[in-house]
Amino acid sequence: MADIRLTAAPLSGGGDIDIAGNRIIARDDLALVSVATPLQGDAALKKVLTAEFGLKMPSATLSSMAKGVRAVSMAPDAMLLIFAHPTPDAEMHVRAKLGGAGYTTDQTDSMLAIEVSGPDTMAAMERICPLDLHPDSFGKNASGRTVMEHMAATIIALGDAHFLLLTASSSAKSFLHALETSYHNVTG
Amino acid sequence: MSQPNRIKGGQTDEQHALSFRWNGRNLTGCAGDTLASALLANGIRLVGRSFKYHRPRGIFSSGSEEPNALVQLREGAAQEPNTRATTVELFDGLVATSQNHRGSLEWDLLAINDLISPLLSAGFYYKTFMWPKAFWEKLYEPVIRSAAGLGRLSRLADPDVYDHGFLHCDLLVIGAGPAGLTAARAAARAGCRVILADEDFRMGGRLNAETHAVADMPGTEWATATCAELAGMPNVRLMPRTTIYGAFDHGIYGGLERKTDHLIDSAGKPRQVLWRIMSKRALLCAGATERSIAFANNDRPGVMLAGAVRSYVNRFGVAPGQQVAVFTNNSDGLRTAADLEARGIAVSAVIDARRGDAVIDTSGRKGLRSLTLNDGRKISADCLAVSGGWSPNVNLTCHHRGRPVWDDAIMGFVPGGDLPPGLSVAGAANGTMTLGGAIAEAHDAAKMIARDLGHARGAGKAPSASDEIYEASAIWHVGGSPARAWVDLQNDVTTKDIKQSMAEGFQAVEHVKRYTTLGMATDQGKTSNTLGIAMMAAASGNAIPETGTTVYRPPYTPVAIGAFAGRARGKDFRPFRLTPSHAWASANGADFVETGMWLRAQWFKRPGEAGWRDSVDREVAMTRASVGICDVTTLGKIDIQGRDAAEFLNRVYSNPFLKLPVGKVRYGLMLREDGIVYDDGTCARLAETHYVMTTTTANAGTVFRNLEFARQCLWPDLDVHLISTTDGWAQFAVAGPNSRALLSKVVDSMDLSNEAFPFMACSECTVFGGTPARLFRISFSGELAYEIAVPARYGHAMMGALMQVGEEFDAVPYGTEALGVMRIEKGHAAGNELNGQTTAHMLGLGGMVSRKKDSIGSKLSARPEMIRDDGMRLVGFRPVDRTQLLTAGAHFLEAGAPADMAHDQGWMTSVAYSPELGHSIGIGYLKRGGERFGETVRAYSPVRNQDIMVEICSPHHIDPEGERQRG
Repeated sequence: MADIRLTAAPLSGGGDIDIAGNRIIARDDLALVSVATPLQGDAALKKVLTAEFGLKMPSATLSSMAKGVRAVSMAPDAMLLIFAHPTPDAEMHVRAKLGGAGYTTDQTDSMLAIEVSGPDTMAAMERICPLDLHPDSFGKNASGRTVMEHMAATIIALGDAHFLLLTASSSAKSFLHALETSYHNVTG
Repeated sequence: MSQPNRIKGGQTDEQHALSFRWNGRNLTGCAGDTLASALLANGIRLVGRSFKYHRPRGIFSSGSEEPNALVQLREGAAQEPNTRATTVELFDGLVATSQNHRGSLEWDLLAINDLISPLLSAGFYYKTFMWPKAFWEKLYEPVIRSAAGLGRLSRLADPDVYDHGFLHCDLLVIGAGPAGLTAARAAARAGCRVILADEDFRMGGRLNAETHAVADMPGTEWATATCAELAGMPNVRLMPRTTIYGAFDHGIYGGLERKTDHLIDSAGKPRQVLWRIMSKRALLCAGATERSIAFANNDRPGVMLAGAVRSYVNRFGVAPGQQVAVFTNNSDGLRTAADLEARGIAVSAVIDARRGDAVIDTSGRKGLRSLTLNDGRKISADCLAVSGGWSPNVNLTCHHRGRPVWDDAIMGFVPGGDLPPGLSVAGAANGTMTLGGAIAEAHDAAKMIARDLGHARGAGKAPSASDEIYEASAIWHVGGSPARAWVDLQNDVTTKDIKQSMAEGFQAVEHVKRYTTLGMATDQGKTSNTLGIAMMAAASGNAIPETGTTVYRPPYTPVAIGAFAGRARGKDFRPFRLTPSHAWASANGADFVETGMWLRAQWFKRPGEAGWRDSVDREVAMTRASVGICDVTTLGKIDIQGRDAAEFLNRVYSNPFLKLPVGKVRYGLMLREDGIVYDDGTCARLAETHYVMTTTTANAGTVFRNLEFARQCLWPDLDVHLISTTDGWAQFAVAGPNSRALLSKVVDSMDLSNEAFPFMACSECTVFGGTPARLFRISFSGELAYEIAVPARYGHAMMGALMQVGEEFDAVPYGTEALGVMRIEKGHAAGNELNGQTTAHMLGLGGMVSRKKDSIGSKLSARPEMIRDDGMRLVGFRPVDRTQLLTAGAHFLEAGAPADMAHDQGWMTSVAYSPELGHSIGIGYLKRGGERFGETVRAYSPVRNQDIMVEICSPHHIDPEGERQRG
């Protein structure tokens, strides 16, 4: 066996970008695990989710959050759990807790999580996000799936002018570029 | 004073002088001017030449309806043609030039067209230039094209930046005149989220141009105060310089915001932003556009709309002339004389058509000098303010094919009942032509909308305003002169043209429009359509409602192509997908190719290699001789889980999947419902209820979509779930006789012997001391081969590590070209072979369509035509003369047969040069191909001028028994 150890590289190429006081942070530290509900298994999954994670089932437009784990609805029978987890075994961790109540797939490497915030964030998002992000329509913990600059994306409101964006890791560089362009276009 | 026509009392800032250049002359204007008002202030009346006859033209209006004053704005690459001087906000350093003249503006050589105008009447191009036939393309068309058009493009890449955006609101108010401001304020006070958009840089609409009072204060002051109130409300977004150019589906409106057009330098920021505005309701308060009256030579510089004259006097502080005459057919026009006199400008005559007075002709070649009245009098005037009545701006109400209806009371078209859903109309746009009426109507409309949307806060009261009487009369055309009278100034359409069209049988509105080009210019006939329809009605003897109207389409005013493109230019045209080893490949000589959105390495150039063939041949040869590594991350990967996953797969693949053991991979074929093959790939069973499917790169999205459709709609009773993991795993093909040896140094504690891990085995494992991985023993190259996958974050390191470990085996990275060569050598079908017409039978895979079970497409794949033995069959080809190169796309013919469809035997789908065989090889479809090994046919390619003899052989050029991949 060769004496080699593989080192993880950030999916985004890494980055904490500041544009005129606005932050674009690639959250390579977050793990993403999808959980699908088995047919007729809603009640069981709901029960174990509450018991193990303290989480409510997320609704189509509202994520739930407890003990550092966020559940985001991705489809009527699928959700995504988002939590900080540095090693590539997040799925096993969730699978063990669910005990067969949900089908799990590790999506940590499939999607890049990007946190955006700052004074020009709403203006920047207007240039890229088709969803209505006004606090009256998209308050804290709201979530939605959409398309930004031709790239599928999920957006979660973390607070005022503060969002977490999820996008395909293969096109993450294009997505980050689109975000930077949006901020550049509305600042200065 | 450098601006001879500047007068006191306008709303421009005379203390803030702005320098600009017009046709090379340095001039000065004021902040708050448009280019048009600044030109008028400097005494410039001649600003352009007409489209067809190259007649001298001046400024006609003060808004976006302008048909005459089209100019070239800016210089060099940033130059923009056909810009309306009446809407261009003046800025320091602005450069503009006149357009559409050969020679100088004053001495335009093409003014000769005016002298030969009898030859250039409507539809002349349908009747002339018939002979000699060859002259059309060689002489007539080039000359006409050279002379036609208005402005000129720079032919350089547009250096400006554009962007797109999305906005949302409860109520979009279109137009910030008195009605729009009132409505926005009422709705905002009630609690609605309001967007108020106006194309002008100063909100207030006609209030800025008139001397009306609103709420007991001058209208312009009320507008300023109302804007200030709105600007302070958090639920209001004011969007000046924004044209709502189209009403689209589901309450979506297109808006063009001119962000930096009024600045000398955009500082790299977007010049314009194209907004998609998603509104729950919209209220059109776009006002009305004044129209002219047709009389002889009514197009001379100095002939202006009366409302525009008031705008220049009251808003811009500019006297459009020193001796102004007024010609009107309605009460509104008379206000012009009062306003002029109040500013000390001489009014030489007021000609009221309702009293029987009329202008029948004018004089003054490059600027109006005098008028001739119907009683024979000649009146000196350098400006004629004409008012033929007002036409409500109904354009947006027509964007869903709604047709406006005629209203005799205002002598204009008003919105019909068939409005875009969610759109209401108020004010002059709705035919409510008095100020007080417009304000009250807009206030009520906004209150009702707010109530409908559940906003119950008090909207306040509508401000008071005068409710003066508006009377218009049906006086459209004044005869009495043989000279031409213009209807459509921008497209040079005269009353004579319309009469001629009617006389020649083109009598329907749409026919007249196309025959004469009436209303087809960039102004969409804003000042001419109603007048033109009235002329048609007069010529046909019908009433205007019977004559009909054309329907307006987006955009309301021209939108730059760059704005539609937004930021999607150059490398930003579309996103790219990169494989995890992209950086490694880039650093190691990879040349990339776009496959869908992916960038894939197509070969890795080494020093000394002269061309791509050298690289590809080397990669193939070294892979087949030892081991090669290829990033195949782009193949679609779908995670399939559920108690019924096996049953689901058994229904979507044509071949059986129920009994695939855990730890095994199976090749699968997918059919469309019509039985045609649309994708192939492998599926690995990792656990009892867990599978990983691979698809082709090209069809990854299609397969996933189809599977989801089947899951959700066809078989919702199955417990099965799908999720794409294409991006999640970095996957590498490790192929060649030394692949096992290489991977033995990579995979932790796993027996890779043929007995323990045979062909089509799979397993979850770890690599390099603990990194999770998946290993599949599958082969696309025909060699002993594996595909190994690691989480994408390790992809970059994995590629480097595989190459490092592979050094002792002379491992090479290989790209998509070598991949393609090896699959052709092996006879594997790919995109070229799966062209949407391919059956399993044609591929020689008819046996894979199980008749013992039902699966998507299996029934229709059994149709006789799909399985005929004498049909096309995938076979291999090699040139009889081995030095010749085959070409894909060549058609097969029997020797001596004519090259036509009747004798077509099939076609070559894929070709490659085989380094191992030392000659060109191909695969393709041939009639009865499976029975014809050893025969020869012609491969005929007229496109490449090639006609060679080829020998028919097995599609498996290399290792037909599959011993290598099973070894």
